[in-house]
Amino acid sequence: MRFLRVNMTDQTIRSEEVAEAYKTLGGRALTSIMVQSEVPATSDPLGPENKLVFAPGYFTGTTLVNTGRLSVGAKSPLTGGIKESNVGGTVAFSLARLGIAAVVIEGQCADTSFFLHIEADGSAGLVEADHYQGMRTYALVEQLRQIYGDKKSITCIGPAGDMQLLSASIQSTDLDGRPCRAAGRGGLGAVMGAKGLKALIIDQGGKTAAEIADSESFKTAARSYAKAVKEDEFSGQILPELGTAALVEPINAAGAFPTRNARVGQFEGAEKISGEAMAELIKSRGGRTTHKGCSQCIIDCSNVFVDKKGDYVTSSLEYETIWSMGGMIGNDDLDSIARLDFLCDDIGLDTMNTGVAIGIAMDAGYRSFGDGTAAIALVEEVATGSEIGRAIGNGPVAVGKYFNHDRVPTVKGQSIAAYDPRALQGMAVTYATTPMGADHTAGWVVAQNLEAFGGTINPHKAEGQVELSRDSQIHMAAVDSVGICDFAQSGLASEEGMANVHTMYAAKSGLSFAGDDWRELGVKVLKAERAFNRGAGFTAKDDRLPSMFYTEPLPPYNVVVQVSDEEMASTFDF
Amino acid sequence: MYVRLKLLGTLSSCYPGHYPPAGLNIEIAAGATVADLVERSGIAQERVAIVTINGVLAKAGDRVPENAVVKFMQPVTGG
Repeated sequence: MRFLRVNMTDQTIRSEEVAEAYKTLGGRALTSIMVQSEVPATSDPLGPENKLVFAPGYFTGTTLVNTGRLSVGAKSPLTGGIKESNVGGTVAFSLARLGIAAVVIEGQCADTSFFLHIEADGSAGLVEADHYQGMRTYALVEQLRQIYGDKKSITCIGPAGDMQLLSASIQSTDLDGRPCRAAGRGGLGAVMGAKGLKALIIDQGGKTAAEIADSESFKTAARSYAKAVKEDEFSGQILPELGTAALVEPINAAGAFPTRNARVGQFEGAEKISGEAMAELIKSRGGRTTHKGCSQCIIDCSNVFVDKKGDYVTSSLEYETIWSMGGMIGNDDLDSIARLDFLCDDIGLDTMNTGVAIGIAMDAGYRSFGDGTAAIALVEEVATGSEIGRAIGNGPVAVGKYFNHDRVPTVKGQSIAAYDPRALQGMAVTYATTPMGADHTAGWVVAQNLEAFGGTINPHKAEGQVELSRDSQIHMAAVDSVGICDFAQSGLASEEGMANVHTMYAAKSGLSFAGDDWRELGVKVLKAERAFNRGAGFTAKDDRLPSMFYTEPLPPYNVVVQVSDEEMASTFDF
Repeated sequence: MYVRLKLLGTLSSCYPGHYPPAGLNIEIAAGATVADLVERSGIAQERVAIVTINGVLAKAGDRVPENAVVKFMQPVTGG
């Protein structure tokens, strides 16, 4: 395996053997430890000292299912701290099959834009791309497919990234070749734009077999893992049928569905935008409710949303976007939500940060809650570069300043996701303390707060939530490092499942991996991330939620965040 | 007395032929609890993790009032 280092300042490319320190790392472990080691914490995120790292997970490229995950890491211009944003699609698998453990974008070219083309033999070159500046992602990918052919995985930015806006995403192509998968969080599209890189074009014809010390042991454990994913009711039945939108009803029931800029926790229009309603609508129009979006996937949680004529609108319409462009802006119209999802992918925007930004604008009275047409116009404004468009594209904090409005549900500058921290106190801990800024995937502790008719832990109380979030954050740091999809965690939910993961790690690395090694991997990642953030100037005071979550009781259960500052500060006592 | 039971996720497949958005009209004894209703539905208890009565979260021992709209939801995982 090798690193591909691309210096945008002098447009040179260097291929190097993976250094010893990185040999058993992948995904988030690799991006975060490399960024912590090589990027000055106080550097300008949009300057030449920052590095943008694309790394497949440690298991990506092997026979293990649902490992087509790509970690994208850098110093975030949105949070000012370290960032790992995770995306599916086909790019990670294509890189791994070329024997590439990471592509590291260094330096900066401020006056010219390039494509990075990595060919089937692993050679790479920069291609001048000034003509494509400002182009939206669907049009860009269509043109690139005409030039380079269909057998390419593409990851690219849209106009938002070109303009270096703080909610800019990096879009990746799915198995159908559409740029509909987003490394959305943290504004890493702006970093890519600042580097002068419009797209990575990666040949899918790589034939480099994954380096596995004991392939038989790996295969046996991987088969057992896949069986568990298939047999689990959520990953084996619910996700293929309804996708992640299956969460709309349960989270709304919990009063944790932030509605109209998190003024209430239940949306009266939830039934209209639920997973059940969406599946019914898609089927009636001839779209697809069970759809494979990512390499190596056996869950098929994706969908293809079509309009009344049966024409493609977007893929995949999933829970977080249904919330951010639905409940958060008071919109119960699936068609406009789907259109907003498409526009964010096309312009290259994080749907969560953008939906929350629109929600704040509506809360400030700029437009009416529930007006999907106005929301579409606001997202279109982003691509024009207008004053309000730039505010929306720079995210919730920028919109709050623009309207002098103080109800801004962010942590470290990044918007919350679709779980109100007042009704699910464990998510308060995760949002506040993760080095990533408010990020639901960093420590998703929803299940324990809702299972068994009201939760095995009280969702409205602080007791046990710090421990729950701590364990989940450590676990997720490891999951993101091996490249296993969140939704395939059913494969490691049992002791036997974890044993399979240990076996695979040991079999791939040729080293012992057992007992606490999984936890130590997660801790190692978190320690690197927190060290970076401390160097960037973050203190315990940054591990807090905005005051609205402590002072405004959330209907219908009328709760506020109960976790004290001292308890928050104890999250990383390790 | 009767309640309206709505089965979400893939639970609706337990009652083939019914229209899920409309729900099922289920007869239960006065004073029946959520746990009683789960048993009456014939759905394995481990498949039901979240229950609401008229939109509000309910626990296993909560009584189900007449004409209530009850929703059964499955365990959630993900992120």
